[in-house]
Amino acid sequence: MATRARVVQMEPTAPARSGNALLVLVGLGVAFLLITALLGAAKSAGPIYNESNLLYVALIFYAGAGALYMGFGVTGVDKYVKFASIATALGFIANTLAVAHRWYLAGRPPFASIYEMLLSFVWTVAGLTLVAEKKLGVKIIGSITMPLAVVCVILMQLLPSEVRPLVPALQSTWLHVHVTLAMLSYAACAVSFALAMMFLIKDHFPSETFLALTSAMVSAIYIAVVATRFEKWGGLSVTAYDAKEKSDIFLGRGVRLFVTVPDLGWLFVMAAAAGLVPLVFWALARLQKNDTYYGVANKAVFIGVLVQVVVLAAFVMRVHDASYPSPFQEGFYPTALAASPFILGGLVSGVFASLLYLMLLWRRSELEELLPNTQTLDRVTYQTICVAFPLLTGMIAAGAYWANRTWGSYWSWDPKETWAAITWLVYAGYLHMRVTRGWRGRRAAYFAILGFGVVIFTFLGVTYLLPGLHAYA
Amino acid sequence: MTSIAKKIYKTLSNLRTGIILLLLVGISAALGTFILQRPTTDPAKLQATYAPETLRLLDRLGLTDIFHAWWFLGLLSLLSLSIILVSIDRFPNAWRFYSRPYRQTDSHFRAAVPTKAEFPVRDPESALNASERGLKKLHWPIERITANGHTSLYSERHRFSVMAVYVIHASLLMIFAGGIIDGLFGYNGFLMLQPGQSGNIIETRTGQRKALPFSIKCFSAGQENYADGSPRKWWSKLAVVEDGKDVETKEIVVNDPLVYRGLRFYQASFGSTGQVDGLNLVATSSTGATQSITLAMNKPVELADGSNVTLTEFMPDFFIRDNQVFKRSDDLVNPAFRLEVKRAGSETASTQWLFPAYDKVSQGPDVGYRFTYREIKMGYFTGLEVSHEPGQWLVWAGCILMGAGLFVAFYMVHMRLWITVVPDADGKLVLWIGGQANKNKDRFQQKFEDVVEEIRAELGRALIAPRSAHDHNEKAELELVATK
Repeated sequence: MATRARVVQMEPTAPARSGNALLVLVGLGVAFLLITALLGAAKSAGPIYNESNLLYVALIFYAGAGALYMGFGVTGVDKYVKFASIATALGFIANTLAVAHRWYLAGRPPFASIYEMLLSFVWTVAGLTLVAEKKLGVKIIGSITMPLAVVCVILMQLLPSEVRPLVPALQSTWLHVHVTLAMLSYAACAVSFALAMMFLIKDHFPSETFLALTSAMVSAIYIAVVATRFEKWGGLSVTAYDAKEKSDIFLGRGVRLFVTVPDLGWLFVMAAAAGLVPLVFWALARLQKNDTYYGVANKAVFIGVLVQVVVLAAFVMRVHDASYPSPFQEGFYPTALAASPFILGGLVSGVFASLLYLMLLWRRSELEELLPNTQTLDRVTYQTICVAFPLLTGMIAAGAYWANRTWGSYWSWDPKETWAAITWLVYAGYLHMRVTRGWRGRRAAYFAILGFGVVIFTFLGVTYLLPGLHAYA
Repeated sequence: MTSIAKKIYKTLSNLRTGIILLLLVGISAALGTFILQRPTTDPAKLQATYAPETLRLLDRLGLTDIFHAWWFLGLLSLLSLSIILVSIDRFPNAWRFYSRPYRQTDSHFRAAVPTKAEFPVRDPESALNASERGLKKLHWPIERITANGHTSLYSERHRFSVMAVYVIHASLLMIFAGGIIDGLFGYNGFLMLQPGQSGNIIETRTGQRKALPFSIKCFSAGQENYADGSPRKWWSKLAVVEDGKDVETKEIVVNDPLVYRGLRFYQASFGSTGQVDGLNLVATSSTGATQSITLAMNKPVELADGSNVTLTEFMPDFFIRDNQVFKRSDDLVNPAFRLEVKRAGSETASTQWLFPAYDKVSQGPDVGYRFTYREIKMGYFTGLEVSHEPGQWLVWAGCILMGAGLFVAFYMVHMRLWITVVPDADGKLVLWIGGQANKNKDRFQQKFEDVVEEIRAELGRALIAPRSAHDHNEKAELELVATK
């Protein structure tokens, strides 16, 4: 009989454990939220099937799916994945309906503001999760992508969401081409990042190094906020926001008005310190060659997560819909969370990263058992980048052609263009090192992770940190 | 080649140099996004952001205009040179591989091929025929090769994919070349036209003025807004004027430029000139007779009784201090108009001020007339971005070529099959099938096994259908030896 080689299945051979408790819990939670949402929608005036209700339904399903995927990640019960897939698919349908509704209302696909970009991104991420599961057999990817989708939908609630008509520069089919390619390529890069991380986990990349890197990232976020926004007497400087105009308040051209939220600065200093403690103990453990310090460091991470959640809650409560005085101008000025997306994103990412580290810490051996072998992970990372790279190339080319039609110049070294080119160069570097130099394994994984870091900077950092023509998204 | 030239060639044509150059280009470009660049930043902002010594240092190092600095362009040139040299270095081998496929096998080769299978057979000819039928069923091309009385089969797909990487790098060089051509021969500028005006002098970003070989005339232009007041569309109705004739007309909008003789005119902006196009007034004489007049700046208009009135000053937004009228801003908020009336037969003129926001009727000494404000039409201009980019076609061709190259490089696998009938180690005749692919080896493994299965089926059918009298009733034992 011929031995047929089959595509290596990514399912692990973990012992099956029955686990109906989590299923029942999640099912009840989803049902409860859906019923309350339905009641709330029925009570309000207006149609039930509108975009924001559909998005909320999608959020509920994504959250349920995320919980089940993470449960699978921790226990290995196959049943969870089945229901998580169903939940993802249901959420994806609701998301599609939300996108369709918005498209119908606006008369164009949702590509024109950061709210719409997130909406498209979440839809793509959910779709790719389903594809990765069915075609590539990577079941555990939902445990990273579904929480990401949930975070994005929550962030969307803070952003201005009205359908705004397109400014003249955006009225072009090239908008759709360029943005679709951008979404697809960024999503593929995100998947390659997740796969590279899974490679490192399976390859016995030391947990202690993960500890150091996570703490360093969390501390960097809080130190950055403190360095730029800490005011005398412990207040935190936050952009003022006019809810009626739905825009930041400006003192002059390009100069925003900042207000000071009292005492919030101290909380951020506390969180920065909490983030540094594990790092310090990690360094001590290495210098003194004493492993017990790692235990202390890990406990510090756990406490650090709690501190971060407190700071996040305090930030949300103090900044949402409040008004504070400004050192620049007389009077009290309103604030809103929509004016501080970068701080908020940093806080949420910090919590998210710390939680993922803790999951790794507590369940590493089960996780490693669940993951496919390193060669497969390495190969699939490469294959994902082989998908992402042509899409990136197409995105840059379409953007250049569109810029040429609108502004008469296909390349003006605008920060967004330049960073997109740098991203392209990094992934080109990955491909060269792999194909020509035979780089595999750890080095390739580091490169893929670096590439995604550059993608995040290109996508978000340039918009919020550097000025330029690409002011839309 | 001299040894120095050889050394240079060796350094530039190896991959490590290329990666280092890539890295340097990336870091320099990143610097260009963090450090404020002169071409795109207000000089005042530069002065405000950097201390004077820092700014002088940055200027000296070229860091305030990185993308036009000689060292950055030098890096890009070195990178291009490196790509060219690496391609030249590796191309001969690739071309040899591409143009002279290894069609026949010898025993060493057969031992070394990673994917192979064998069937014992009686008759080479029928075995090869069965193989041909199998290959045909699976849509593989077939080449029969006869040498020294020995026949074998060769089949391959997508040989051109080994060339794809050279196509990709060539397309990148094409894009660079297009950019260089535009850098040397292209230009960019701005042209502001008021309706009815035509012009052919554009102002470039560096402040220079350049004359175009033809003029552009603007008939009209306008702006349409959405319900909430934000701009929806800017349009201009333009004509190209060459030798005094309107050669081509087009109404352009943002994203849809006018293209003529390699020059492109884009709708970039639209705005008010701040000048009065026409001020509509009703002049009421002391007798009560009214007359509707339209005033333009400094152009006297005659009234019924021979006096004339001239608009001599206009302020879009004013305030009064010490009995004098001053301009507060350039926005049309609270306008002021200064009118001079010269009575018939008199040489002196007297001044009246009109502040429509307060009183629609003008105020001033009695000249026999009062002027009532009706309407004001502001002058407007349309802003056109003009660009000449002769190299852009190379850039677009390069992009398309790169897309095709990437597709072929990643998704078209070069696969080869060799089939021959040779004696095995024990001297028995076997049908030997070997295969190789340059990537996606797992998927090729599956394709190979499909081929083997199909050929085995064909061999079985060949035996069942009698060929000649002595083949009848013979059963061959088919054994598949799949090795990797």
